[in-house]
Amino acid sequence: MGEADLAVTANPLQRIPGVAIVLLLLIAVFGVLAPGFVSAANIANVLVQSTLLLMLSLPMTLIIMTEGLDLSMGAVLTLTSLMVAIVSVATGSMVLGFAAAVAVGLAFGIANGCLIAVLGIPPFVATLGTLGVAQGLALIVSDGQSVVGIPQSVSEIYSATLLGVPVPIVLAVLAFLIFHGLLYHTRFGTYVFALGGNREALTYAGLSPTRLLIGVYALGGAMAGVAGLLMTARMNAGHPTAGLGFEFDAIAAVAVGGTSFERGNGWLGGAALGVLAVGVLRNGLNLMALPSSIQVASVGALVIFALFFDGLRSRS
Amino acid sequence: MTDLTKQVFAPRALISGDLLQVFYRLIAALLICLALTFLSESFLTLANVLNVLRQASLLFFIASGLTLVVLTAGLDLSVGANVALSACLAGTVIHQTGSPVLGVFVALATGAVIGLLNGLMVTALRIPSFIATYGMLWVLHGLTYWYMAGEIIHGFPAGFRQIGSGYLFGLPIPVYLMLIFLGIGTMFAQRTTWGQEIYAIGANPVAARLSGIPLSRRLLLVYAVSGTMAGLASIIFLARLNSAEADVGESLTLPAIAAVLIGGTSLFGGVGTVFGTFVGALILTLVLNGMNLLSVNASWQPLVTGVIVILAVWLDKATRRGE
Amino acid sequence: MSTVISLHEPSRLNAPAPPLLELRKISKAFPGVRALDEVSFGVWPGEVHMLLGENGAGKSTLMKILCGAYRADAGEFFHGGEKVTINSSLDAKRLGIAVIFQEFSLVPYLNIAQNIFLGREPKGRIPGTIDRRKLNRDAQRVLESIGFDIDPTVTVATLGVAQQQMVEIAKAVSQNARVLVMDEPTAALSDRETELLFDLIRRLKADGVAIIYISHRMAEVFALGDRITVLRDGRRMGEVHPAETTPDELVRMMVGRNVDMSYPRHFAENPGEVLLEVKGLSAPTGISDINLVVRAGEIVGLCGLVGSGRTEVVRAIFGADPASAGQIIFGGRGKSGGPDEAARLGLALIPESRKSEGLAPARTVGDNLVVCALHKLFPSGLFEPRRVQRVSSDLIEKLRIATPSARQAVALLSGGNQQKVVIGKWLAAGARLFIFDEPTRGIDVGAKAEIFALIDRLVADGAAALMISSEQAEICHVCDRAYVMREGRIAGELSRTELTEENIVRLGMHHG
Repeated sequence: MGEADLAVTANPLQRIPGVAIVLLLLIAVFGVLAPGFVSAANIANVLVQSTLLLMLSLPMTLIIMTEGLDLSMGAVLTLTSLMVAIVSVATGSMVLGFAAAVAVGLAFGIANGCLIAVLGIPPFVATLGTLGVAQGLALIVSDGQSVVGIPQSVSEIYSATLLGVPVPIVLAVLAFLIFHGLLYHTRFGTYVFALGGNREALTYAGLSPTRLLIGVYALGGAMAGVAGLLMTARMNAGHPTAGLGFEFDAIAAVAVGGTSFERGNGWLGGAALGVLAVGVLRNGLNLMALPSSIQVASVGALVIFALFFDGLRSRS
Repeated sequence: MTDLTKQVFAPRALISGDLLQVFYRLIAALLICLALTFLSESFLTLANVLNVLRQASLLFFIASGLTLVVLTAGLDLSVGANVALSACLAGTVIHQTGSPVLGVFVALATGAVIGLLNGLMVTALRIPSFIATYGMLWVLHGLTYWYMAGEIIHGFPAGFRQIGSGYLFGLPIPVYLMLIFLGIGTMFAQRTTWGQEIYAIGANPVAARLSGIPLSRRLLLVYAVSGTMAGLASIIFLARLNSAEADVGESLTLPAIAAVLIGGTSLFGGVGTVFGTFVGALILTLVLNGMNLLSVNASWQPLVTGVIVILAVWLDKATRRGE
Repeated sequence: MSTVISLHEPSRLNAPAPPLLELRKISKAFPGVRALDEVSFGVWPGEVHMLLGENGAGKSTLMKILCGAYRADAGEFFHGGEKVTINSSLDAKRLGIAVIFQEFSLVPYLNIAQNIFLGREPKGRIPGTIDRRKLNRDAQRVLESIGFDIDPTVTVATLGVAQQQMVEIAKAVSQNARVLVMDEPTAALSDRETELLFDLIRRLKADGVAIIYISHRMAEVFALGDRITVLRDGRRMGEVHPAETTPDELVRMMVGRNVDMSYPRHFAENPGEVLLEVKGLSAPTGISDINLVVRAGEIVGLCGLVGSGRTEVVRAIFGADPASAGQIIFGGRGKSGGPDEAARLGLALIPESRKSEGLAPARTVGDNLVVCALHKLFPSGLFEPRRVQRVSSDLIEKLRIATPSARQAVALLSGGNQQKVVIGKWLAAGARLFIFDEPTRGIDVGAKAEIFALIDRLVADGAAALMISSEQAEICHVCDRAYVMREGRIAGELSRTELTEENIVRLGMHHG
């Protein structure tokens, strides 16, 4: 491997992030084509709806930085949102429902981490497996039916405002700040770069890559629990298949945001912008009365385009 | 001087070593049959055995093409969605033109085109295969659901339906097709130069390229084959179900991967056989069949398949110690 | 090399103080191999102790034991005269031992400061956080102490190889390393960077740091070393003073017999037709306007310093990398495609890294031998294992490849035999021009002679060879003529009579 492999533009500020360009393009396109896109109400709507995806994309960024992937996030999200619904309906308490969701999410995250770090199973296979497990459990636990009668304390999470700002946005900003601090100002965050960039360096330094990797996936699971609360609050119900496919949007957002799948180079800000890009894309297509199936196809195309675009830039 | 490569694995011996691996798996399949015979009285009935064989053949069509992709250390996660779209397009064509031949052609063509697109993403756009095919999965999923708009296409010509539901000398026709393709697949992988090149690519793609193997062309080939086989599978589905809707075959991606892995093909490339995938398909179908016979809730199936995939990969890793 | 400054110091052999670090009768065995056999060895503060040995002599095992990655089976360690144990990397660190491996242990997307203090970051106020300002300040201090002038917040991925090595050294120094082990540190450095490294070594010496320096370059060994220890087959063959020995004697100690460096060679009196002609070749990998010619019956050398572009040239000729300008004419026909076209036309490339680029280690010898010749042997596309067996048996015999059978996994063969397989696969394909990139790297001296004899035979039969080698002596003994590269261009061509080590070095170095 020669030096050419490591060559990166010396001045990163000169590179306008591709995701910013993509986001601006999407806004421009939909501003013209989609009726009602450029309205305060719609913009607020996009922002609030994107918070759910952000909760998943932030930990997904870290996971992808370790050269991994978590395909089970959507299924785990489905399960945790069901936990919020079931537990809060049974106990009347939002806090208990939330705790249950985070606990379940954490369990799956730790399971993923163990499969990948301890047993050495490639991430996409391991999480494909736990996807199946979570999906199955969601169906069993809900008996295939929606769970309704959600206490108001839960649905308020989505609709309430704090000093005029919708609570989901407050939570999203909080989550972003926490993850930012985690990645750039803590030892854990520093080691995440090493997990993807040079795992042996950690061993030489006397640290345990296994424990750190489990931690990264556990974080993903826990955030799936947080997202579960938001989702149940938004839908005002728990649904046996509602979250399936979210992992794809999360991966898309991270990929579009410029985090590479190799060597530990990640950017949280990019992931956040990527979340907005995906949100804008879906919103715009929605306003153009195109069904969710086309939306999904478009997100797929967006990922491919973003990866290709990024590949071109890093090669030039 | 320190050795700079991490590519050296413990040598998986010779061809007879591979045969040994398949032999173990055959034993495993027989043991499962034995267990099921004891556990359920409906297992060893003619109807059930034929059913198992037919289910296994559906799985095998998809998994056989996938085997070639996995041999090159790649993955094709779009196969299930490929089957769905091909089935829907072919179904529409058969319905509207009344010609099964045209339908077959459309199914194969759709599968092939999707496969080629996957291949192009991997070779020309340099996108890692699991991400490229994962993206393709969602694109196809979206297109299929949009195209069908919730409708179901129903009712195909009787002659066409024979492909899926017909019998020949007491065996379902799909089983014959499975055996035919098992033969073709094995011939291709073990007895053609292209097959040897594919194994070489899986074992060390850099060295393969520097040995004069046209890497991109061969990779395009394997993805195209995987896609075409998915197209083929969609025809059998149409013939068997006598209908087409947007989710036909979609849930088969994970089981197909499971079949390939159980059969001994390594995710890391260069090791595995089509015959192994055949046995893997049998084993998985037997397990799922057993669950059905024992009245286990169908929701457990994706769960069990997931666990099996994990176990199979772990076994592969454990027997492949790095030097 | 005239630019290297001699850093000779008086012998420490009679110093009264105990060595800073001493190994006594250290042994280590792996299944089937005795890697180290009762090796005794000691270093004093402020000395550069050279460690020489062939591949497989035990140098890397010794390094790994010193840094705690491996545990010795037998023997004792002494630090400043006191008995100690080295059972883990923590033990090694506590004793002040740091090893600079060839594969750097740096994290690409962290900055220099983060890399230096990985695992030892200064704590911030909230538990778990890092005080980044202190981190950068501490890093700045360390960098200054070794004379490395760079901003500690620079991302490591943007640095060149030499700078990364400096970061590694800074890391070791920051851990108060008193014994530094360096493995071929100048292998990838330019002359100027080597000078800077030697400056740094001088500083460290003055500071009392002991340096164990592994090198294959005689010039460095004599210029830099205070003492030289030679290992062979896991045993210490001797310890000498540079002033009291010669390169030949060192080689004899390394190899155990008087090595005749002149390989049997029948030089081409009348070279045959032009097989390869390269005109104005340039490529984005950093080469420009390359012109060269290779005729049948010749071995043409391609020399130059590491980084001068030799590998890039041959890869562009072979088609492994795309060219941006120029013509490649092989056998009278233009060539513009990739490696598949090259193979078809009769070009062969034996790459520098056998295991990662030349072979599929997990596959059998037979499979590897036929991989280039599949379409030639089986034009119909139908593959017959029996024919493979026949062809590979033939080649195994002809090339004298030491393997129990053609069904042996190639990974189990020795380096020299693996190289024969790589050459053999191209023989099977009927290649006419063989491009060798460091063909004898990592191969012991006995096998080297065999490889050269093989190349000689090939060329005598009408083929041609283009050979890259960093050993000027090899080039001079084996090649009919040679091109010398400098900074991506051909600096000149040397005919048989002009082919001396001096001329190669003179042409390859920067003028003024």
